[in-house]
Amino acid sequence: MPGFSSGGVGGGVGGVASAPPRPFRPSRYVPVSAATTFLVGATTLFFCFCPWLSEHFSSVIPIYNGVIFLFTLANFCMATFMDPGIFPREEDEDKEDDFRAPLYKTVEIKGIQVRMKWCSTCRFYRPPRCSHCSVCDNCVEDFDHHCPWVNNCIGRRNYRYFFLFLLSLTTHIMNVFGFGLVYVLHHQQELDTPGAAVMGVMCVAGLFFVPVAGLTGFHIVLVARGRTTNEQVTGKFRGGVNPFTNGCLRNITHVLCSSQAPYIGRWRGRQMMEVQPPFLRPALTEAQLEAKVLDNGIQNSKSSLDQMESQSADAEAPPPPKPELRYPGLPRADTESSLLTEAPPTPSMYKYRPTFNSPGRNHTALTHPNKMIRGESLDSPSPSILQSSRQPSYRSEPSSLDGTTVVGGGVGVRRGGGERGEGPGGPGGTAGGVLGGMSGYSLTGRSYTSYPSSLVLSTGGSHSSSLRSAHTAHNPLATLHSEGTTDTSYKSLANQTPRNGSLSYDSLLTPSESPEFESAAHELSPQKLHAPFLSSAVRGQTEVVSPSTPLQGYTSPFLSAQIAQQREGQLLQGSATFSSPHKAYLRAVSPPLPSSAGPLETHHLLSTSRPVLANHTTSKPGGGVKKVTGVGGTTYEISV
Amino acid sequence: MRQQAAITAKVFIQRDYSSGTMCQFQTKFPSELENRIDKQQFEETVRALNNMYAEAEKLGSQSYIEGCLACLTAYTVFLCMETHYEKVLKKIAKYIQEQNDKIYAPRGLLLTDPIERGLRVVEITIFEDRSLTR
Repeated sequence: MPGFSSGGVGGGVGGVASAPPRPFRPSRYVPVSAATTFLVGATTLFFCFCPWLSEHFSSVIPIYNGVIFLFTLANFCMATFMDPGIFPREEDEDKEDDFRAPLYKTVEIKGIQVRMKWCSTCRFYRPPRCSHCSVCDNCVEDFDHHCPWVNNCIGRRNYRYFFLFLLSLTTHIMNVFGFGLVYVLHHQQELDTPGAAVMGVMCVAGLFFVPVAGLTGFHIVLVARGRTTNEQVTGKFRGGVNPFTNGCLRNITHVLCSSQAPYIGRWRGRQMMEVQPPFLRPALTEAQLEAKVLDNGIQNSKSSLDQMESQSADAEAPPPPKPELRYPGLPRADTESSLLTEAPPTPSMYKYRPTFNSPGRNHTALTHPNKMIRGESLDSPSPSILQSSRQPSYRSEPSSLDGTTVVGGGVGVRRGGGERGEGPGGPGGTAGGVLGGMSGYSLTGRSYTSYPSSLVLSTGGSHSSSLRSAHTAHNPLATLHSEGTTDTSYKSLANQTPRNGSLSYDSLLTPSESPEFESAAHELSPQKLHAPFLSSAVRGQTEVVSPSTPLQGYTSPFLSAQIAQQREGQLLQGSATFSSPHKAYLRAVSPPLPSSAGPLETHHLLSTSRPVLANHTTSKPGGGVKKVTGVGGTTYEISV
Repeated sequence: MRQQAAITAKVFIQRDYSSGTMCQFQTKFPSELENRIDKQQFEETVRALNNMYAEAEKLGSQSYIEGCLACLTAYTVFLCMETHYEKVLKKIAKYIQEQNDKIYAPRGLLLTDPIERGLRVVEITIFEDRSLTR
């Protein structure tokens, strides 16, 4: 039975394999049973007195009535048992859509915007004119209504039969009533049992005629206008345009003359096909695309590795050095923070470094670089060279360090930052070391890997003036603040993620959220490692190093500045091990960037121009708002 | 033994409702297939499918005669005969099989007959190219 089987005569109840079993509800079958009973019963009774009609009038009458009755019954059966066009539930089409799918999707049909709603039961966007029947618990294509008299949804596949059933039932009722009336009129004198039966049948017919005819007329209008009951009753096109109409005649022919719509339930076997590599490829830049993907992977893994490395390095790092060892010659006019002479430029350097020299010596050494920074150099190189020569064993970092230190005394432009050269200058290196490092840096020029650490040192290191130290102390800790803020903002955004299914539609309206989310994520990832071991520093130092506190707050307690320096050193330790120099650079430098001091400072670090460090500390981002630059270059403001 | 390649991704070609509820699919070339198949080839496939579905739903003489016959026989003719739509669906299934054999499977792709998805989407499965990801 190809026709019926493919027509899915399994009916509206059992046609779909994927629908869950529903509890048996006998009340659903009452209307359809009543309809069947009345239809068959009344007609049978009618045919009891039909022979008289055939004898007295014509034998065509029973044939005619029989045909109409059979037609009605056939359509009734098709309307009852045919699958209306139930969409099978989608199991594996984009499971994430459940949580992130916007509720509506808009399509344009003949220039009119039509919304497709997400059906959470069936897990797809309902095609236009599709609706979910709550009685059957299925989405039905071209859903008209759920008819209790046939106990089935009326949809695309069985609407024709339902319509014809209504037409034929109306005709049949009219026939029965009419011929019954003729019989009664001819048997007015002898109203015995057959007459009584006929009267009964006429009453039933008359009773049902009014609603059935009303419904038939209603559906004739719907077909002519190209609408479904659902659309008419919900008033979808009230005062609007119906995009699904093709004109009266075409609508009617579509309902009555179109080919039987196919069964779309899931009973077909899956196609089996063997697909094996190697695969052909079009001559496109697929190699480039592959490379891109790999690059992203490499970068990501690299960054994660970096983080891991730095974390482990931090874990291995010896206890924080004495303040005076941390930040060598960031040249300052006032040398009260000269205790912070120099810092190891890299963690590995630092690791190999035993206890450092006395602060006093460093202090004296420090005084020089301040002058040297101004451009003179010849004096300083000697101590630096001395010191640097003392340090080669400690230099475990790339040879650029060696190069820088050995070259040492080059005049070179010197910036305020604690450069790489300072590191090897090490404990005694101080300014000389700094200078040597600097000159080495400028001379060799390459030190790309050393670059970030030196930058970091320069930004972090602030040994000379309290202002400077405060400022630089402020920078990484401001970073921490931003981290904290970003952390919270990231979390708050992350917490919203489960709701994004409903929010994503709103997010279309408020796209500003997403960039924040991304930038927060960016911001969080490279700086995450600092958060754990610096959080205590933040807590301890908040009142001191908060950017919102006035500058005086930085400078007031020298001790706190020292501690801040200490913390910075830890920070720098971690950050310096990043093999991705660009990132380290961003991380270290980004906080100061927004401030006017920042660019100056970075400019100093980057260029080999004369140091003007004294001038940069004045400015500060105003109003307790910190601008942070993420890895991607996105800048956003965090109020602190 | 048959060893199927691993599935990397699935692309869904959505319905094109611009001309009503006729069964048509979008010919827009999805970006995921950019390095797997030619754009022209893909568009040709989708256009052929669209043409066939249009033919299936055409209000022509064949469908009219079929309807009348069904009415006259109280729809018992469906027990013996295939409807016009079903005939075209078989043609479509054959076409998709042939396209898979000739064009898509050698490129690591697989077209799924939309009838299996309720005529809502054309699902294209992208298989992992182990020769590249070795």
